[in-house]
Amino acid sequence: MNLLHYLIIIPFIVGLFCLVIPKKLSKLRDLLAIGGGLATFYFTIVIFLRKPVEWFYNDLLLLKVDNLSGFILLAIGLFGVLIVLYSLKFMAGKERLSEYYTYLLWTIGGACGAILANNLILLLVFWGFLGLTLYLLIGIGGPEATPAAKKTFIIVGGSDCLMILGIAIIWSLTGSLQMDNISIHLTGLLPTVAFLALAIASFAKAGAMPMHTWIPDCAEKAPIPVTAFLPASLDKLLGIYLLGRIAMDIFVMNKAMGTLLLIVGAVTIIAAVMMALVQHDLKKLLSYHAVSQVGYMVLGIGTGNPIGIAGGIFHMLNHAIYKSCLFLTGGAVEHRTQTTNLNRLGGLAKLMPITFITCLIAALSISGVPPFNGFVSKWMIYQGVIQLGKDGDKLWIIWLVAAMFGSALTLASFMKLIHSVFLGSPSPTTPRPVAKRNEVSFTMWMPMAILAGLCVIFGVFAYRVPLKNFIFSAVPGISFLGFWSPGLATLLIIIGIILGAIIYWLGNIKSLRTDTTYVGGEIIPQDNRVTGVDFYDTIKDLGPLKVIYKKSEKKLFDIYDQGARVIFLFTKGLKKIHTGLLPTYLIWVLMGTVILFFILVKG
Amino acid sequence: MAKTLFYFIVFPGFLFTALVGLLVSWIDRKVTARVQWRVGPPLLQPLYDFVKLLGKETIVPQAGAKLTFLLSPLFGLAAVTIVSTLLWLVMISPKVTFLGDLIVVIYLLAIPSICVIIGGFASGNPLASLGASREMKMVLAYELPFILAIFTPVIQAQGAIRLGDLLQYQWANSIFLNSWSGLIAFVVAIICMQAKLALVPFDIPEAETEIIAGPYIEYSGVPLALYKLTRWMMLFVVPMFLVIMFMGGIVFSGWHILWGILKYVLLLVIIILMRNTNPRLRIDQAIKFFWGPMTILAVVGVILAFLGL
Repeated sequence: MNLLHYLIIIPFIVGLFCLVIPKKLSKLRDLLAIGGGLATFYFTIVIFLRKPVEWFYNDLLLLKVDNLSGFILLAIGLFGVLIVLYSLKFMAGKERLSEYYTYLLWTIGGACGAILANNLILLLVFWGFLGLTLYLLIGIGGPEATPAAKKTFIIVGGSDCLMILGIAIIWSLTGSLQMDNISIHLTGLLPTVAFLALAIASFAKAGAMPMHTWIPDCAEKAPIPVTAFLPASLDKLLGIYLLGRIAMDIFVMNKAMGTLLLIVGAVTIIAAVMMALVQHDLKKLLSYHAVSQVGYMVLGIGTGNPIGIAGGIFHMLNHAIYKSCLFLTGGAVEHRTQTTNLNRLGGLAKLMPITFITCLIAALSISGVPPFNGFVSKWMIYQGVIQLGKDGDKLWIIWLVAAMFGSALTLASFMKLIHSVFLGSPSPTTPRPVAKRNEVSFTMWMPMAILAGLCVIFGVFAYRVPLKNFIFSAVPGISFLGFWSPGLATLLIIIGIILGAIIYWLGNIKSLRTDTTYVGGEIIPQDNRVTGVDFYDTIKDLGPLKVIYKKSEKKLFDIYDQGARVIFLFTKGLKKIHTGLLPTYLIWVLMGTVILFFILVKG
Repeated sequence: MAKTLFYFIVFPGFLFTALVGLLVSWIDRKVTARVQWRVGPPLLQPLYDFVKLLGKETIVPQAGAKLTFLLSPLFGLAAVTIVSTLLWLVMISPKVTFLGDLIVVIYLLAIPSICVIIGGFASGNPLASLGASREMKMVLAYELPFILAIFTPVIQAQGAIRLGDLLQYQWANSIFLNSWSGLIAFVVAIICMQAKLALVPFDIPEAETEIIAGPYIEYSGVPLALYKLTRWMMLFVVPMFLVIMFMGGIVFSGWHILWGILKYVLLLVIIILMRNTNPRLRIDQAIKFFWGPMTILAVVGVILAFLGL
């Protein structure tokens, strides 16, 4: 047995065991799930250290690990363990737990398979299987989640059909399905169609516009660990991995397709973050960011130069880290307060300090505040865009402004989140007594803390840890236009804080006094508090934006609803024929037979 | 390492920037006073204010998050000190790379605003929340034209994003201000700078007469002193950034130094005049102003830059 097989087989078998273990032995099942996750993680580490590893079947290279897939496997393994660990407490007492762990483990196995696959058919099989487990995992959320699961299945599954088409075209063009020896120039109609088909499949998985609409629905209804695992981290890794593969290996990009990717990226960044600004629900707000950030990755890959592609891929890794951290903190909040409605939260920073700090770090990372990891990858993407301009593209400033302004908008919506959930004044639903710490349990905050720690490490030691080990080898030929020394910056920030602390010490800080808040001498009524939900209503009511927001509330930009509308229009006429009366049907059958008979006799 | 520490703590970092910041804030108050036919404060008044605030007791709001409330001012101070160090070292030796490039500076300059916002949120005071949310909206408003304006020189310099390269390009050719696109971008950048410094007509987040200093309402004693110091330093650092981007910075040789200082003083005078002759805007007016006319103007500048004008 090859080393690579373990990654696929272990999660599958452990998952099967989880399914059949009787309910009474739930402790054993939990242990088994975490053991399966750990074992897979262990093997991803081993394989990462030993790469490149390959597995041939009758001279056919089916599975392989190279520099790009190596670190993605590692990330899948890590997220798998963390999510299982988090779920132990979060999901405890919920229905259908055995199924939940089984699907979770199968997802890990399927994802490893999809990343390992070198054969396009094999990739397709794992890809389709992942769509199925995603559907099943969303379904764990109960009957309310069924529509969201259906929508996800239709969008992701529909794009799988396009993927089959793309693979078929590739086969007819080259006669090969081995990813490592296909290289198609994007000239003519067929290669372009194939590229688009595969790109749409990757967009649907990663959640780039216009295939993103399943993510907000899924985030709202599915259990939070599922959202943190799939749409937030794993699906990004897979989708952008596929996009990177087709853009770098399978196809030779041309300018038109590059520009298309840039447009998709820029629109995704801005449109999704504008939606996030006005959300009233913690999970929905986060989910729109899960869409918006994909824009950066697509934009980075669309630049087509090494620094941009490397930035996009690095952003994918970073995004997976901070976004699943954010969803997990959201889960911790939900666990404590039983709500994710921003109107009903507030002042949780005192009660849940660890959750607050991890959430703040992740929020600053996603907003691209230096020296965290989000900044480094965004900075690389910007350089890719500027490099595009140096190579003669005049539109680069548009992509750059979209990306940088999108980053400010991201910051804005996260400030709203931080205010509404953790800061601001406590809400009536905040657990009492307010003064006492009420942090979630160890197995829940541990994964959050690890992910937040990674945000810091990947930012501060960007060159030494993630870039050197993961990115530089995956994308050769990177040259930086600018420079950024995150280590020095962090050191200086720390020194600056020490300086400030000295000023504190010099001053009269010992006479620290706590007092009630001051609002011009007025007493604030308990129910009259600033929740932060309507912070950006000024922007919502702004001229043309008002119209766009109204339209998007009616789901005018939702490809699923629009598609459904078109299909129902078609079936409207057909519906009338289906009266349900047996004699009418018999007449139809008779008429058909007569016509058929007539044609046959005549022919 | 010791050299870097010296740069950061003494010159051109913390001590230098803080002292100049105190001086600049005095100029601001003095000129404002003269405009209003008052005598104005003595030279050392900002220092007296600072020291006095250090001696006052610090009050922490009950409803707030104490540690976040007290730590926020420190991060802002650190960020503005780093930017100042970076800008001055670039001007002194443009060939040496220190810390970061243009994009880094833009991002670091946003940190003081973020700290004010988080500190305001942590106060647990409705007026502070309101003010902080306005600050956030102001950032959104000016950031769009600001990015466009700052990248106009980058277009002229064929995609150079290291500050040293931008300076050397200006010294070798001519300053960016010396072209139509540069002029337009410069005007946009000045107005965005006014908003970045939260000065009238864009002091909407504080709006003393309306929401009682907004995010600062609960601050007193040492943390308030730190915030004030940060703002004074910003009043020095942000115009300096524009001097580098558009006016060729300061050349450190003989009379050129004086000429460079004059460039900064010119910007300071514009800031002070603008803040003394305008009424405060409403937040929605400000957003419309920046996303409408200002952005269009900045786009015109960008197009002119592409045309080589």
